Amino acid sequence: MASQRIFQLGLRRMATPGFSKMQPAGRMVQRRLAGNMAAQEKEILVKQRLHRPVSPHISIYRPQITWYASGLNRVTGVILSGSLYLFGIAYLAAPALGWHLETQSMVAAVAAWPAFVKVGLKAFFAFPFFFHSFNGLRHLAWDFGVGFANKTVIRSGWTAVGLTVASALYYTLF
Amino acid sequence: MASLLRPSILRPACPSSAASQRMLSTFTSSSVKRTSPFAQQLVRPAFERSTIPQPTRIAAFHATQKMQILPPLPQTIQGTLNDPVPVPEPSPTHGSYHWSFERVISAGLIPLTVAPFAAGSLNPVMDSALCALLVIHSHIGFEACIVDYFPTKRVPLVRKGCTWLLRIATVTLGVALYSFETNDVGITEAITKLWKA
Repeated sequence: MASQRIFQLGLRRMATPGFSKMQPAGRMVQRRLAGNMAAQEKEILVKQRLHRPVSPHISIYRPQITWYASGLNRVTGVILSGSLYLFGIAYLAAPALGWHLETQSMVAAVAAWPAFVKVGLKAFFAFPFFFHSFNGLRHLAWDFGVGFANKTVIRSGWTAVGLTVASALYYTLF
Repeated sequence: MASLLRPSILRPACPSSAASQRMLSTFTSSSVKRTSPFAQQLVRPAFERSTIPQPTRIAAFHATQKMQILPPLPQTIQGTLNDPVPVPEPSPTHGSYHWSFERVISAGLIPLTVAPFAAGSLNPVMDSALCALLVIHSHIGFEACIVDYFPTKRVPLVRKGCTWLLRIATVTLGVALYSFETNDVGITEAITKLWKA
C-alpha cells in the first residue's frame, strides 16, 4: 500500500526532466562509491575521535612529593644548564656584539648593583642548584636500589627540600 | 501510512507555497519548475511540516575544548589490529651503557663540585674536569627532555631540529668554556668572585 505509492512516486520522480542533475541537500553529501567507502569511514572516525572529550589527567592529580620533586628536578636542571649554555654562547659572541663578559667587567658590574638585586640573583641560582644536587643524590640512591619504599621516598623527598631551603638561604644571605 | 501520502496527491495545483519552496531549495539544480505537477508530489504538505518541531540546538559535545591540556593525538592504527607491537632493536650503546654512563657522570660531578668550594683553592685540571662533566651532564639532561617531549611519530622534524640544535649548542658551550678557562679565570673562580662581589 504505502510501498506501492512510494514506488510510483519514485517512477514519476525519475520521469521528471533534470532528475539526474539534482543532488539532495547539497552541502553535506559526499560521493560514496564502493571503492573508497572504507577509507572515508576511517577518516570520519579519526576526526570524530579527535573531538571526543578527554578525561582530566595532570590537572586533577593529587600533588605529591614524588612527582613534584621529579618535575622540579627537571625544571631546576633546565634552569641551571640553560643559564650555562646562554652564558657560554654569549661569551663567545661578546666580542662581535661589543659586550664585555670577562670576569673583571662582570665582577665590577655586579658590585655596582643594589643589594636586593644581588640577593635576588643569588637566590635565583642557589635554590635550583641545591635542590638539583640533593635530589640528584636521591636519584643515585635509587639507582643502587636503595630507598624505594613509599615512606622512604616521601621522607627523603622532604629532607631534600629542607636541606635545599637551609643551604640556599645560608649561601644567599651569608 | 497512506494518509501521509494522499493529501499531497490530492492537493490542487497552485503556485508554490512556502513549504514547497523550502523543500525545493535543497536541490542544487534549479532546473525543476516550481509549479510542475511532479514537484508537488515530492514536497511535504504545509500542515505536516508545521507540526514537525524545529530541530533543537545541538549542544557542543564538550564545553571545555579551549582548556584542554595535551589534546588527544590522531587516533589511527598503523597497520592492522593483528600486527604485533614493533619491538625496537636492542642496543646497549643507547640502552644500558648510556644509563650507566649517565650515572657515572652524575656521581663524578659531586666531588668535583664540592671540593673547590670546600677547599677554597683553585686547580685548573680539576676545573677543566668539572667543566667537561658539566657539559656532558647538561647535554644528557637536555637530550632527555627532547626525547620525552618531542616523539618522532608526532613531530619528526621538530625532534630532529632540536636534537641537532642541542648538539651544536653543546659543542659551542665546550668551546666557550675552554676559552673561558684558558683566557680567563675559570668557572669556579668566576663564581666565587661574582658571589662575593
